[in-house]
Amino acid sequence: MARLSLEHLRKTYGDTTVVDDVAINIADGEFLVLLGPSGCGKTTTLRMVAGFIAPTAGGITIGERSVTTLPPWKRNCGLVFQSYALFPHMTVAENVAFGLEMRKIAPADRAPRVAEALRLVQLAGFDERYPRQLSGGQQQRVALARALAMEPDVLLLDEPLSNLDAKLRQEVRVEIRDLQRKLGLTTIMVTHDQEEALTMADRLVVMEKGKVRQIGTQRELYEKPADRFVAGFIGRSAFLDGEITAPSRFRTRGGVEIGCAAATGSGAATLALRPERIAVGGEAEALPNRFQARVEHASYLGAILDIDVSLSEHDRMLLQIPNKAGVAEPKPGETITIGWAEDAGLVYPREA
Amino acid sequence: MSTAPEPVAGARTGLAGLLVVPATLFVALGLLGPIAILFRYSLNQFIPGQFMVDGLTIENYVKFFTDAYYLNVLLRTVRVAVVCTIVCLIMGFPLAYVLARTQSRFKNLLIISVILPLFVGNAVRAAGWMTAFGSKGALNASLMGIGLIDQPLEIMFTETAVVIGIIAVNLPFMVLTLQSVIEGIPRNVEEAAFSLGAGPSAMFRRVLWPLALPGVLAGTILTFILAMNAYATPVLLGGPKFQTMGPLVYGQFAQQNNWPFGGAIAFILMTATILLTVAAHLIVQRRYR
Repeated sequence: MARLSLEHLRKTYGDTTVVDDVAINIADGEFLVLLGPSGCGKTTTLRMVAGFIAPTAGGITIGERSVTTLPPWKRNCGLVFQSYALFPHMTVAENVAFGLEMRKIAPADRAPRVAEALRLVQLAGFDERYPRQLSGGQQQRVALARALAMEPDVLLLDEPLSNLDAKLRQEVRVEIRDLQRKLGLTTIMVTHDQEEALTMADRLVVMEKGKVRQIGTQRELYEKPADRFVAGFIGRSAFLDGEITAPSRFRTRGGVEIGCAAATGSGAATLALRPERIAVGGEAEALPNRFQARVEHASYLGAILDIDVSLSEHDRMLLQIPNKAGVAEPKPGETITIGWAEDAGLVYPREA
Repeated sequence: MSTAPEPVAGARTGLAGLLVVPATLFVALGLLGPIAILFRYSLNQFIPGQFMVDGLTIENYVKFFTDAYYLNVLLRTVRVAVVCTIVCLIMGFPLAYVLARTQSRFKNLLIISVILPLFVGNAVRAAGWMTAFGSKGALNASLMGIGLIDQPLEIMFTETAVVIGIIAVNLPFMVLTLQSVIEGIPRNVEEAAFSLGAGPSAMFRRVLWPLALPGVLAGTILTFILAMNAYATPVLLGGPKFQTMGPLVYGQFAQQNNWPFGGAIAFILMTATILLTVAAHLIVQRRYR
């Protein structure tokens, strides 16, 4: 195992910059997740670490070793693909032994390591099966065992769970996480699934359009999103566009005046509120920011109700109300009282 | 990956059975019929002046296998076919791989340029080679013109000319067969091998080659059969001095009017092709399964 650093990685194809100045240090044994919408450069970043894409600029160091110019087969990165990529003409045991075979380890010494790797992923006894005889989840575990058996310096997971169905995904998610902790594997995982990222990561990197938007723990990203993109991408936020009129004063486009501690400076800005910080009905009465909102649309989602409300003709925002016993579902056209504290929102300069 | 293919629509109603009838009938009437007749003819007697006399004799086969001249023709044909097939495989695999893996938007153009030679008929192409390879042809004229050689190279009417000609005809078949199979091998599988420490040659040996084997088999069988039965190329580039089985069969039918012996040679050619193909198939399968 080793620490891993990405030093100002950059990848351009012609005029298009796919990865732009990505600098991340990953500690020994850390589980880092690259998260972002498709096309944000997260997979390209991972493939640069694996050695399949040569960076246009910047470098990659694993442990003390600069691997920037090394081919993939000399990097010792265990790689797990979304599509498993098992060797269909080899048995499970042969698949898992492949990395050891390539390292010229004698057949007699391979067997115990293959058995150990298969035991780790709970597939002991599947040695002689062929990949086509296994379910998707089992195939993905074989792929994981294959990557683990060669004792990689770094484990790279490329959307490893995306091909599994929802229930299985949760199981395998926990398994991978436990295994990673137990073995102390330095790991990078790429995913576009927010829940997956939040449950598995030690730290997350939010990427968009090739750039790192924010690096931090789940709590840091949720409570102190660095910009409007992160605020909208991690968890949900209600956004109100407007401007800062004075310190701690925010006026929406529709002219609604809001007291907000985070409003500093001046000019066009966006106020972001977490839905759970917004009180509804009686609870809102004592709060400094208190408004009559018109219900535009309500969606019943089981544990919560998603409600789209308007504060004025130009200001619409999202509310989430816990679906408690005795709470009536607001109907479109009704007026409800909503409110929040002055320290509830975050304000970002308006993005062009 | 693990899901079974959907049954052909209408399989239960017997419609699927109906769909294979036209092709089956065509093959049965158009191929098996003539072969059966040919086989019957090959057992007839040939008496000069009387054309064909009904009989039941193996003397035509005996004649072939006891005459060094005919055995040599068979041996030469097999040798040419084997060499052509191996060269096609060695040259075709890298090309097929590039075609299968390229992300270029000109991919279709590249594939068409591989097929393009097939638009020119064998005879036309061989005629072209004749003008190129002849002692006063383009190749010799150029080489002598720039002073590389004093005497014209003897390429025409040699084994080399025939081999080059057949390779040129067969290469597209090999490339297209391999390309479609390689395209079905996910790129990720190769990348997985690389990430596990396999260099390019180990990856090829342990992953790409075994997975491409069905295509290799199909491609070699196809080119081998075509090379064994080549007609226009050996006639035009090999000439009367360089006999192979295809022209030999034709000669017996059209020039010697010896239908029984022609039929026997045709049958020997067909049997040799099938036996060698099956043998190669079995050897490869045993080795890699």
